[in-house]
Amino acid sequence: MLDRFCRIVILGFAACLIITSGRAASFTASLDRDTVTLGEQATLSLKFEGVQPQDAPALPTVAGLRVQYVGPSSSFSFINGQTSSSITYNYLVAPQRDGEFVIPAMRVDVNGQQFSSSPLKLTASKVNAPSSAAVNSGGEVAFLKFVFPKNKIYIGEPVVGRLELYLRDDVQNFGNFQLTGAPTDGLSAGKIAELQNQRRRVLVGNRTYTVIPLAVPLTSVKAGPLTLGPFTASAVVVLPSQNDGGDSIIRQFFNQGEQKQVALATDPVSVESLPLPEQNKPANFTGAVGNFTMTATAGPTNVTVGDPITVHVQISGRGAFDALTLPAQDAWRDFKTYPPTTKLEPGDPFGFQGAKTFEQIISPQNSDVHELPALTFSFFNPDDGKYHTITQAAMPLVVRSAGSTTLPVIAANKNAAPENQTPQDILPIKENMGTLAQAGVPLIARPAFLALQGVPVLAFLAALVWRKRTDSLANNPRLRRQRAVAALIASGMDDLMKYAAENKPDEFFATLFRLLQEQLGERLDCPASAITENVIDEHPILSRAPTTTLDALREQFQLCNQARYAPVRGSGELNSVAAQFEKLIGQLREVKA
Amino acid sequence: MKNQFPRSSRREEAQINCRLPTTGCRFGFEPRCLGCYGILLLLALICAGNLFAADANADFSAANELYAKGKFTDAATAYEKILQTGGQSPSLLFNYGNAEFKAGKLGEAIAAYRQAELLAPRDAELRANLGFVRNQVQGATLRESRWQDWIGSLTLNEGALLTAGFFWMTFALLAARQVRPALAPKLRGATRLAVALTICSGAVLALQAANHFNSSVAVVTGSEATARSGPFDDAQTAFTARDGAELKVLDRHDDWVQVADAAGKIGWLSRKQVEVLPGA
Repeated sequence: MLDRFCRIVILGFAACLIITSGRAASFTASLDRDTVTLGEQATLSLKFEGVQPQDAPALPTVAGLRVQYVGPSSSFSFINGQTSSSITYNYLVAPQRDGEFVIPAMRVDVNGQQFSSSPLKLTASKVNAPSSAAVNSGGEVAFLKFVFPKNKIYIGEPVVGRLELYLRDDVQNFGNFQLTGAPTDGLSAGKIAELQNQRRRVLVGNRTYTVIPLAVPLTSVKAGPLTLGPFTASAVVVLPSQNDGGDSIIRQFFNQGEQKQVALATDPVSVESLPLPEQNKPANFTGAVGNFTMTATAGPTNVTVGDPITVHVQISGRGAFDALTLPAQDAWRDFKTYPPTTKLEPGDPFGFQGAKTFEQIISPQNSDVHELPALTFSFFNPDDGKYHTITQAAMPLVVRSAGSTTLPVIAANKNAAPENQTPQDILPIKENMGTLAQAGVPLIARPAFLALQGVPVLAFLAALVWRKRTDSLANNPRLRRQRAVAALIASGMDDLMKYAAENKPDEFFATLFRLLQEQLGERLDCPASAITENVIDEHPILSRAPTTTLDALREQFQLCNQARYAPVRGSGELNSVAAQFEKLIGQLREVKA
Repeated sequence: MKNQFPRSSRREEAQINCRLPTTGCRFGFEPRCLGCYGILLLLALICAGNLFAADANADFSAANELYAKGKFTDAATAYEKILQTGGQSPSLLFNYGNAEFKAGKLGEAIAAYRQAELLAPRDAELRANLGFVRNQVQGATLRESRWQDWIGSLTLNEGALLTAGFFWMTFALLAARQVRPALAPKLRGATRLAVALTICSGAVLALQAANHFNSSVAVVTGSEATARSGPFDDAQTAFTARDGAELKVLDRHDDWVQVADAAGKIGWLSRKQVEVLPGA
């Protein structure tokens, strides 16, 4: 944004100056040099004086030249009252091959004025690797070397070459390193990357160089003699300024240095690419070149016909993993197989080491399958120049017929979400029938079940009634005494009958008197011990009682008194008295207290 | 027990279990004792039940073998034969549904699965198969709403027993508070909880009952069923439903059921074309 703003300001300012200047308009094109080496760039400048074009002119296309617009620059001068101004459009021109290039004359129309430039010639020369003598003399600021570890390789064999950039000890900095040529015909090149933490310093001749190694992963794809390189590159190095003015110490600390573009090239390297031998080539060889090991697992191993079994095969080691495939297993003819999925775990940045895991779903097609047949994998090892076949032993399986029901545990991919997978078929039948039950009316529609729900309600009501009665009794002492006396009378009657039957008048009348006291005491609401015959005439409650009751009461008291003095009575008479007493008790209970 | 005996000896096993105690009877067996007659009757019933179960198990295994051999139609017939005895179990209906599905009868399969679902609504395998078969059905089909699915996670009997349990617990707590007034403060929280649970479970039970008794479903069992505008053969065609389509039952008239499909179209179907099932 800021850049755009600045550009507009500059152009506007330049336009004003051009308009106000009195000089005649002109247009020139120029190159800052007419000879470059491959990898170097020249700067093309289109200069307009006294005129302002609307936009940067478009350059004609020249085969073999790559042109990149950089931007404008402007200048203004005021000399002896005469103003002059110009605007220059700059382009970088980079030859793509060696040879001579001609940038044709350009015609530009600015505000109706026609301008034209002269043709420009640019010569690009090849970069050659410096000679050993030049290198050893220390005269090279920077140079490039390519190191290939083998002179014979097999097709498909991955090899990592090293491109080494040497920088002389007086190089303060470097940048803009660009590979301008990396001919690797017959080889497939991977991504070139710096080998981290492997910079080193070496002594070459009498100068010390810093070596920056770059890895070039290569795989041969064609048999025959191959040539690697020359690799060419360009870089900008910063060297100490040659200005020797001023204090040396100040120069040492404050020297900003001079930038210098250098073209770099390596010597070509010859390699012989060998075809894979046909002799002893395994039938299931699929082109794996390297040195590998294999592990395999399968699960579940107890399944029903048609159930999925997941086979994990991991091939690890060193080699071209991109082209590594799992060979078809002819021995799996009793299985339905699905395309495997693969996962690569690289062990280096180039993919030449690591482990590749194949996950394949298979399903047995019949219950005669008792094992997962041995798994084989063949590869060519370029180190010993031989084919090798790895065999994973057969794995026992238990395959039941489709009628069996134990649900297999599906060994799914860890990353997969089983719940999101669309099932392919229904789940198998169940082996156990379970308990057979007669189909019937739901419980809620059965009268017996509904009636049963009345039980807790009734229980609660019973408890409620019981509670009410208990509370009532607890709050009414007279009622409580009335019930206690009634119970006493009931048991006392039994005693009276017993004493009468046994003809025990003393015990009979003693009991009778005590019962009379208790019953009257309860009725008259006074202690039983206070009851004598006198209460019959004196107590107001008894005055409301019927006369017959009072007479019977007096008679009972008198009988009790007489018994103390004339105790001889017969059982019959005692029974009669007991009957009268029972009748009297009934009458007394009628008396309102 | 089942693993210790081969299949062929299951009937013999049942017979062994049916032997009556002839010596050492703790009740002192006597011909005139009513209690002993009662025990004899009970044992006879148990023996009969065991014999019936043994027969059914053998038939079930035979049906499973037919299924395993790929004779799905025969297997379905064998399962159906067991069902015709009046007994049913979730596994039996599940296998029956599987066999019908494999035989290409989506409607029969769905009907079987739905009946099994009434007995075992939380059976994951059952729900998986029902869902799978439903996905094979072409055309519009009725799907249970979310609340129906939710209340359907309990059987009607489970809901009734659960509600009865909470109901009994509530009145037991209320009775306990009357019998032991001192415990009333301690039981207050539990009583409120029991009352709340009773109300909630009762509400769910009411919904279940309403759904069960009032929301019947008809499953089309033929390859294609033509619904008519009236309950007679000459009536105009209202719409057609494909095998396995589930339709809401609106009314019944003689051998006809009035149904509505998922799109709301209403028509009459002959009972021969559908299997009418209670709601979940």
